[in-house]
Amino acid sequence: MSKSIFELVDNLPDNNVTTMMLRSLDSIVPGQWENTVGFENTIHKVTGESDEGMIQQIGDRAVRLYNDKSQGYLRAMWLYQTVDRTDRALGTAALANKVGDKIPLLGGLLSKVTPNPDKAQSLDLCIKLVVELVAFCQINGIPGDSIGDFVGALSDYSGESLMRMAALVCVDGLIPLGPDFLLKAQSTLGGIGPKDLESNSTFSSVKELIPGGNTKGQLGFIGNSFDSVQGWMANFVQERNLTPQKVMGNLQGFLEFSENKLDYVAAFIDMSTNYYEHTGTQTLARRLIERAIDEI
Amino acid sequence: MIGLRKFLVALLLTSVLFVTSCTQQAPSRFDGAQQESTSKGATAVVDSSQSGGSFNRYFPSDSNGYQRVYTQEKKGFAEAKLKKDGQEIAIMSISDTLNNPTSVDKFKESTSKIGGYPTVNQGSTGTAVLVGDRYQVKIRSKDASFTESDRTSWLGKFDLKGLSKLK
Repeated sequence: MSKSIFELVDNLPDNNVTTMMLRSLDSIVPGQWENTVGFENTIHKVTGESDEGMIQQIGDRAVRLYNDKSQGYLRAMWLYQTVDRTDRALGTAALANKVGDKIPLLGGLLSKVTPNPDKAQSLDLCIKLVVELVAFCQINGIPGDSIGDFVGALSDYSGESLMRMAALVCVDGLIPLGPDFLLKAQSTLGGIGPKDLESNSTFSSVKELIPGGNTKGQLGFIGNSFDSVQGWMANFVQERNLTPQKVMGNLQGFLEFSENKLDYVAAFIDMSTNYYEHTGTQTLARRLIERAIDEI
Repeated sequence: MIGLRKFLVALLLTSVLFVTSCTQQAPSRFDGAQQESTSKGATAVVDSSQSGGSFNRYFPSDSNGYQRVYTQEKKGFAEAKLKKDGQEIAIMSISDTLNNPTSVDKFKESTSKIGGYPTVNQGSTGTAVLVGDRYQVKIRSKDASFTESDRTSWLGKFDLKGLSKLK
């Protein structure tokens, strides 16, 4: 049986490789992400309420909404959890090797990771983007009456959602694929067929919730979704002057590595963090609590 | 002596087993809601409630530097942010109380009205109005500059009369 929403939020870690990585990216989206953990604490943070009776009512309503399968929250949570394929043992080993505030990515740790080939990495990036879009619709519905309203809702990303997108651009885009990661992703998508998509492990894990009917349709959906948000991503990179070198500087706040090992850094972060699941749980809890307080 | 040592070791091992098998989550004040809502046939939203999209048109429009950004649209529920100069100052929502019938109880203690409908303050930041004994329209302040009187005034900008006719 799946865990309750309060267990999931109560069990979010205060400090692990994921939170260290996200904190290192703070200067890219300053002050947007705070690692809010604990269900009652989240209710308090989101609503500003501290009356025990109110917290009980809000929490009860949120729990009920989350468990109603027709409401999409369970599917969104599953997507966030499934798209992150984390090797928890690697995360634990990395923390055990910590020297001061930093994890040295050398020797033993380095030998445990294998960099993703560009094609697989490009696909992973696109699939994570699609997962975000699908999870957004599962959580929020399709707000408003027009495409403009919907785009308005999407571009209103802030807090942990914006941090998730920042991390996606940085550690799944710029670091493994370089400054032209959007072009690489686009040319990968343009050059593959349904068979290639089928053989991608990230896709196979989440394919049942990707719209499109069959693999060919799903490939089309992934392409269209990518086209619709790549402008946003390009803007995000441009406005902040993001380069692999700049992101590397951020990551060096928690990770020690040599500059010619960027593909290993990306592979290590991919395997040892679950930033989609972590911030996705926070996003979902926030939206659920907002709805719950409005409905009580 | 050996017998006693064996006994102690066995006791220790059993207690370790016992303790580790019991490292479940501590009881939570939300366990009741969890159990009820995961029992067979339980739902949080009823089929007869209105679609969220049917509420959109009753929200106040953009005006004088205020911007409305729709944020959620789920069955029986629609929500929008109210922004001023790009800053979020309040959250506005309409919900169908068929999905959470106890939410109407608080309006029995209402002493004032907006557009002829009973209104109450709720919690430290919210004001709500009950339209046609069914739809709850609520505004919550997200910034201290948006006061109780702002909430009351913005509740009056919803098309409450139109909403009361929604069947």
